[in-house]
Amino acid sequence: MSDDPLLSPRAKAGRAPDVFAPGGWIPMHAYREDEAVDFVIVGTGAGGGTLACKLAEAGFSVVAMDAGPYFRPLEDFASDESEQTKLYWTDDRIVDGENPLQMGSNNSGKAVGGSTVHFAMVSLRFRPEWFRSRTLLGYGADWPLDWREMWRYYAKVEQALKIAGPVTYPWGPPRPRYPYRAHEMNAAALALARGCEAMGIGWTETPLATLSAPRGRAHPCVYRGFCTTGCSTNAKQSALVTWIPRAIAAGAEIRDLAMVGRVEVNDAGRATGVHYHREGGWRFQKARNVVVAGYAIETPRLLLNSATSRFPDGLANSSGLVGKNLMAQSNQAVWGISKDEIRSYKGPPSLAITEHWNYDDNKDFFGGYSYMSQGPLPQLWANTQMSARGLWGDSLMAEMERYNHVVGLKIVGEMLPQESNRVTLADAKDQYGLPIARITYSWSENDRALIDHSLRFMARALEAIDAREIWTQDDDTCHLNGTARMGGDPRTSVVDADCRSWDIRNLWICDGSVFPTVGGVNPSLTIQAIACRTGDRIKALAALGDL
Amino acid sequence: MPDRFPGYDVLSKRWTPSWNQKTREVINRRLALTNEPRYLTAEEFALVTVIAARIVPQPGHRPPVPVAALIDHQLDRDQGDGYRHAGMPPLQEAWRQGLRALNAEAQAAHEAPFDQLRTADQDALLTQMQEGKLKDAAWGGMSSATFFKQRLAHDIVHAYYAHPTAWNEIGWGGPASPRGYVRMDANERDPWEAAEVKDGDVEAARRKNRHVG
Amino acid sequence: MRTAIDKTMQNQLVAIAAQLDVLEKGLSQHFPRREPTVRAARRLNGASGILSMSVLADSGIEHYRGSFENKAMFTPLVMSALSLAVSAHGTADSRPDAHRIRDAVYAAAALTGVVGTGFHVYNVLKRPGRLSWQNLFYGAPLGAPMAILLSGLLGVYSERLRDDRGASPTVFGLPAGRTLAALTGAGLLGTAGEAGLLHFRGAYHNPFMYAPVTIPPVAAGLLGAAAAGFSGRTRWLTRWWLRLTALLGFAGAGFHAYGVSRNMGGWRNWRQTVLNGPPLPAPPSFTGLALAGLAALGLLEDHTDA
Ligand SMILES: Cc1cc2nc3c(=O)[nH]c(=O)nc-3n(C[C@H](O)[C@H](O)[C@H](O)COP(=O)(O)OP(=O)(O)OC[C@H]3O[C@@H](n4cnc5c(N)ncnc54)[C@H](O)[C@@H]3O)c2cc1C
Ligand code: SF4
Repeated sequence: MSDDPLLSPRAKAGRAPDVFAPGGWIPMHAYREDEAVDFVIVGTGAGGGTLACKLAEAGFSVVAMDAGPYFRPLEDFASDESEQTKLYWTDDRIVDGENPLQMGSNNSGKAVGGSTVHFAMVSLRFRPEWFRSRTLLGYGADWPLDWREMWRYYAKVEQALKIAGPVTYPWGPPRPRYPYRAHEMNAAALALARGCEAMGIGWTETPLATLSAPRGRAHPCVYRGFCTTGCSTNAKQSALVTWIPRAIAAGAEIRDLAMVGRVEVNDAGRATGVHYHREGGWRFQKARNVVVAGYAIETPRLLLNSATSRFPDGLANSSGLVGKNLMAQSNQAVWGISKDEIRSYKGPPSLAITEHWNYDDNKDFFGGYSYMSQGPLPQLWANTQMSARGLWGDSLMAEMERYNHVVGLKIVGEMLPQESNRVTLADAKDQYGLPIARITYSWSENDRALIDHSLRFMARALEAIDAREIWTQDDDTCHLNGTARMGGDPRTSVVDADCRSWDIRNLWICDGSVFPTVGGVNPSLTIQAIACRTGDRIKALAALGDL
Repeated sequence: MPDRFPGYDVLSKRWTPSWNQKTREVINRRLALTNEPRYLTAEEFALVTVIAARIVPQPGHRPPVPVAALIDHQLDRDQGDGYRHAGMPPLQEAWRQGLRALNAEAQAAHEAPFDQLRTADQDALLTQMQEGKLKDAAWGGMSSATFFKQRLAHDIVHAYYAHPTAWNEIGWGGPASPRGYVRMDANERDPWEAAEVKDGDVEAARRKNRHVG
Repeated sequence: MRTAIDKTMQNQLVAIAAQLDVLEKGLSQHFPRREPTVRAARRLNGASGILSMSVLADSGIEHYRGSFENKAMFTPLVMSALSLAVSAHGTADSRPDAHRIRDAVYAAAALTGVVGTGFHVYNVLKRPGRLSWQNLFYGAPLGAPMAILLSGLLGVYSERLRDDRGASPTVFGLPAGRTLAALTGAGLLGTAGEAGLLHFRGAYHNPFMYAPVTIPPVAAGLLGAAAAGFSGRTRWLTRWWLRLTALLGFAGAGFHAYGVSRNMGGWRNWRQTVLNGPPLPAPPSFTGLALAGLAALGLLEDHTDA
């Protein structure tokens, strides 16, 4: 049998890979397919992986499936951009609209651990007001969650991931000290800091989900800078090395290379399990509850693909909102050349941040943005020069020679929810014969205003530190949210505050899809906080006999 | 162009702690690729070679990065990006169709296939493609600008910068695990990183680069 | 696994303790009772030597990390090497007089510490964030040059002791034993402060990381009490506590060696892990200071009014 994790599943027959030991194994519970488990979870990323851990630790029987492979980072990850594309969701998808999104490496993972296996580890809290942005700030939609409760769950996730952050965080209400100290800033981060000081705004070290000191069998970060292509040292606190091992220790079963094609619903309108493709054939796992956690594209696709005569528009879709209000985040950048050698490839890419414009409401547009220092690797950088700046030929080669002198700032900006930005099903089919997703995206006027503001401001920040030949990259986006928003009203939301679908009460959605708005910070800490809360809520509901 | 990082060879780190076993395997496989087509036809392969020489021109004084072979390998394994613009066919089809369309445009404009054109004419055609001005029927509904940005130049640039030779040219540290980096501030260089020529002192940089490892 | 390591660690500690004891007994046999002041001076030379050794290794490693960007970064290496050499000479030298070259080297070492502190403060202040945690953690370590200052001071002190011809030794007109006790106490506190800062940076991820921020401050307190002239009744405790602190210096180096192995690539990746892992040569400064404290206690015992 091959030990290529991309070709044959590793987690089976009562054992799963030990991510901390090359070739190692850990024992894992194995559930029968024909006996209903309490929960089957589709997707093991920030949402699904976290919830699998929480539910297993609460004593539920859990099977969590992922379409992607089960890696042991120490032995499977090369220091190589091309090779590591194996972490991404590269099944076919179609993009359109006025501003078609880039998918694949830009935002979607496919692995046990989901996109957290290749995420950049930036772990930020929402600004409290964003949970009521409609009421307090006049745009978007209110969340059915209270920020004070979220504050407590954020703290739990920060502990669970041993987030390395500044001793005191300059923005927002007080938060407990981060469990680990901030990392040493690289030259790119120091450049951000100098720029902020010149512009008279605050900056700090970015709270990151990568270790600044040893933890258990995980090593601290070695500043190799390959974070978005997978961390081969296990310093990165991805779901793969945190929640998943905990989930398995608590009795959960993980099934890798298991693509769920359809959620089964019975005549009574209750979910009964999932059809999934593994080892060459379609199989069925019975379950009392189904959790969909496939991220903001695959979650609506699965719900839409699971339509029945009773639910002709897809599951959980009486509001008609499944797939709608897709929100990326703006990810524009300003780049320049420094006379110094910056070598931004060293260390995690975003070691310093300013959230100034998230907390300053003196702007002529809605929403906010943070911006961070950058460290693109060569393929990504060359392609940026080609696609965003149009360079090729000798001008590209000359520009690339100055790679070590590049300094850049990049935003994570809030984009407003619009129903016209959405995921639908295309005619084309994937390798399993399932209709693929069509992703339609156009920026709003407000989105553009925010982007313009950020580009102007960051350009001045770079000028202030004497960077030369400054240019702006204005076409990029990152992160995916929305498409199954939570809310307090079944007519205007897909799930309630507990991530439970209004229409099918034993169907849950627990991932980035549930966000009503995105804010100006990276989403995964919030996804994990919501998953922790959902876990607690399910436990409480079960105790009340209310599942 | 004078060499900015004289004597720097990222491969000299192959057996140091900067490279783990997996990385060695992957790069060895890449370096072992032979310069002959597996997926593309011989003519297509030759055409890709000519286009690549315009997109990522290489100096004559060193063995070239086999860009066409890398692209062919990608096509052979049908390694897409996970998305395509509406109107763009899947990877393999897009390349075939794009190459055909480019030759059709060359014929229409200069009555010769693309690889027979003077480099200035080749560049002019590629620029028109980048600007979306090529509209021959051979494009079959595919936008030439999208093909350039999302496929042709995208794949060529990725192929070129997947090669250690390209890493040497830009002074990147290359693979880095288990050993990462220590010296993080501006102008600080770990002894296993490329040294850049400073104040015209080529020899000093060369001396440092000889000891990279 | 952990407990196995703890066990071996424990056994090693006991073994080292036994050896220290032998060493101390051996030393006191070596130094005839009639020359207690010279004996104390030689012990101080020894203590200064251990500190110099720690500085030599530490500044060597740290300034290598800094690629000797500035030629002045060689100074602490040269000075600590010289100081180490004259300390060896002094430890072996039972003549009662101060030695001009030793004296000069020690004074220069102390001066290096002062100037070095200035450089390090400048380095930190020019980074964005100024006196922020980031710069205290990762900028030039503010406390490090203090170690060479201390080693120089202890040396100068030892030479003054030799100079002293009075019945009860004084240095710069102050009672020698007490001043020395106060000085080492302060040194221990400062060094514990630096360990505290760096262990805070490491988030005290291992409980043993609390040792250097608890044991040496207690030793400092006991030395302070001795300096303040509290009666000799707790002196046995002070002595034993100082010995414990001296041991801690050795044990710390062992822990740090383990810490290096805990980093990615372990010792095989030493070119990174020795620099990014816990500093191997730092903990022995506790040993040097504790030995100086023991010398101070010796002085106080031999001359109740010292
Ligand atoms: C390059 C990059 C950098 C990023 N950096 C950051 C950052 O610094 N900070 C931050 O907060 N966020 C970051 N993100 C975003 C972050 O990774 C995601 O927001 C987060 O992981 C989403 O969590 P999720 O649970 O919704 O989905 P995911 O983590 O993507 O998990 C979904 C999982 O479901 C599986 N799946 C989907 N459909 C099916 C199916 N039908 N059957 C079986 N399995 C299925 C997928 O294989 C996948 O593993 C980054 C993302 C990228 C791509
Ligand atoms: S820089 Fe740190 S977190 Fe990123 S890949 Fe390297 S070890 Fe992992």
